[in-house]
Amino acid sequence: MVILYVLDVAEFLPIVESARRIPDCEITKSDKGYWKIVAPSEIVLNRRAMQMKPAVWYGLFTGGMNGEIAEFGRDEVRVVGTNKPL
Amino acid sequence: MAVKDTLHEKAVSDSAYTTERDYRTKDVDVARLKRAIEDSVQLRLDGVDHTARPTWKLRETVEFYRDILGLPLVHTISARGWGAPGHPDFLHFFFDAGKDATIAFFYYIGTDRPERYMPEDHHFYAATHTAWGVPTEEELHKWKTTLESRGLIVSPYTRHEILESIYFRDPNGYPIEITLRLRDIEVIDEVDAKLTLEAAMQAEDELRAGGDRLKDIDTVWRRKAKLVEELISER
Repeated sequence: MVILYVLDVAEFLPIVESARRIPDCEITKSDKGYWKIVAPSEIVLNRRAMQMKPAVWYGLFTGGMNGEIAEFGRDEVRVVGTNKPL
Repeated sequence: MAVKDTLHEKAVSDSAYTTERDYRTKDVDVARLKRAIEDSVQLRLDGVDHTARPTWKLRETVEFYRDILGLPLVHTISARGWGAPGHPDFLHFFFDAGKDATIAFFYYIGTDRPERYMPEDHHFYAATHTAWGVPTEEELHKWKTTLESRGLIVSPYTRHEILESIYFRDPNGYPIEITLRLRDIEVIDEVDAKLTLEAAMQAEDELRAGGDRLKDIDTVWRRKAKLVEELISER
């Protein structure tokens, strides 16, 4: 399982919109200003699809990430489940 | 408004530069300091008055800031060296950067720039920089196109989370940023800022206690996940 937390501000909302296209992905919004995205095995995001500039892209998971980054390229990132402690 | 003779007796009776220099030289042990919450005194600031740095290029600096960037030269101090032994005679001059803020320089007469003050092409060096705000996107574009047409090399536009910036260097090698705030800072930004740094400090403290060190941001992001989960689970 992979969980992303996304601050509810304009510059990070493309993450939430992209996550809506991930199969079996659960997306909830808390009243504390964060979106929570839960995916069963992995989350793959594309920078160009989200129209993000690099300076935002490389801070993509600043809202919090329960998972491990398997690949973090200039245009694509893949987060997988992990047993690493939070 | 009339200038008062002095605000504080100590200010005229002595030079703080010749005695009691601990405030300049002694390391600050943060752990020993009283927290603001302990005395309930809230100190307030009213923006930037000035920031200052040394220059060894007098004419180039004056011409760059006043004549190329167009910042009015609004104040100059010229003085014999005083205070610390060996302090050279100097010029200290201020350019208006808007909203009553100035950027200031010291020109130490008859000195050469030491090697360690040479500009470097490195992010550690560029981390110390001056960022001036502009009110509109049009103004940001105007700065870029105008400075380029005046012959300066200006960076491409860089969009950060809440800022869009351009960068260039002054004749001393000091990095300058012109930036546009893209949106207001909200309460959730402050909550998030606190949680991110709390996550980083927790992770770093724990790793250090184990003889290790913080080596990547992923570790911070994982701890942040824990803190955010706790926040949103609160009832």
